[in-house]
Amino acid sequence: MDNLSYIAFIAITVSLSLMLPLMEKKVRRLVIFMIVGISSCLFISELNNIFLELFKEDTFYVTTTITPVTEEVVKMLPIIYLAIVVSDDRRIVIPNAFAVGVGFALLENVVILIQNVENVTILWALVRGFGSGLVHGICTVMVGWGISYIRKRRKLFYCGTFALLSAAIIYHAIYNLLVQSDYQYVGILLPILTYIPILYFLKKKGIKASIVSEV
Amino acid sequence: MYLYLSLAMTVSAAIGFGYGLFRFFRDESALYVRMIVFGIGCAMLGQLFQTLLLLVTGELDDRFNVGTLGIIGIYLFFFSANFGQMDSIVDDGSPKFRKTRIIALAAPLVVAAIWVAVVVLAGFNEATITLGVVALFLALACYYHLKHLIIEDVSFGLVRSLRSYNLLALIYALLCILEVVFEGLPEVFTVIVCVLECAVLLLFVPVLERGVKKWTT
Repeated sequence: MDNLSYIAFIAITVSLSLMLPLMEKKVRRLVIFMIVGISSCLFISELNNIFLELFKEDTFYVTTTITPVTEEVVKMLPIIYLAIVVSDDRRIVIPNAFAVGVGFALLENVVILIQNVENVTILWALVRGFGSGLVHGICTVMVGWGISYIRKRRKLFYCGTFALLSAAIIYHAIYNLLVQSDYQYVGILLPILTYIPILYFLKKKGIKASIVSEV
Repeated sequence: MYLYLSLAMTVSAAIGFGYGLFRFFRDESALYVRMIVFGIGCAMLGQLFQTLLLLVTGELDDRFNVGTLGIIGIYLFFFSANFGQMDSIVDDGSPKFRKTRIIALAAPLVVAAIWVAVVVLAGFNEATITLGVVALFLALACYYHLKHLIIEDVSFGLVRSLRSYNLLALIYALLCILEVVFEGLPEVFTVIVCVLECAVLLLFVPVLERGVKKWTT
């Protein structure tokens, strides 16, 4: 059988790509960044396999220390591209950063579903949907916030982005650590409890409104 | 014992971060102070990770863990705030501050000297390499903390109002290094360092708040 990650990747991205010509420019950009997120996940899955071999299949160490670093760095790259080439306007960067994160989580969830198809339940789907989806989205938004300074304040961009990247990596690692422990329900609550104040903050700043108007 | 120490530091950082959010995020505060609050939030996340790792696995091995990024994160935020926001206000680049700039180099040199001493004593291994990476970011930030501590105040009391905060940041940097250096020594040293770290994490925002109040009075 061919690699199931690639099969899932093709099935999802081809369907999404077919929608692109019919979409309005701003919505199309969101979907493109979602596809970029899905592609990042495929790339990372190969990279993580190499790290697993390097660390002698110590899955716990790799998922709590290595993968948060690799995943956050790779998810950051398309957002840097967006900020340099398209726009560093926070109202554009933040929604697209979230789209990269959600796209990443989408393929990750599908791959884990395929690997554990005997054991998955509706509860599992809810846990992965809220947990993984939000964690990847929130982490990419955190980094995207720093990247939005790329043209406005260069000095802040260089160090501020890496500071936010550090925070995103730790946050991601905390989630990965909790979901593999006996405290996995705390792990699921963590992104939900973080998402609500972030949503409130974005709404207060008027960014959520612009997301709605873009869509 | 390490679990309780780590928990105490997490709680201290969480209180500091929570108070910072409450104090500086309700209205339009300067980005400078917000970045410092984010830094304390980063320290909180790093400590939380280490606490949870201790809780789940029961030990912290010598290998690199992302909790270390908490220290790197806090000093990257502090560095961003000083380098990106404050430095251009307090130092116009004129020759009269040259002496201050040279003296401020003492801070990164001390950090580097401590790291070299640790490498000489403990050898070149994963733990000392990790400490080296942390020391690099501490050194960068400490340069500006010392500079803003000693620089002549020509900006309407702006520098003077932030001296206590910059002093605290230097003390915290020293404690972060000592925490690693004291590994292997009697536990009492680690306890003293951790208690002092808790105190500094709790003091950061109130000291900053007191300084910021002087900007408007």
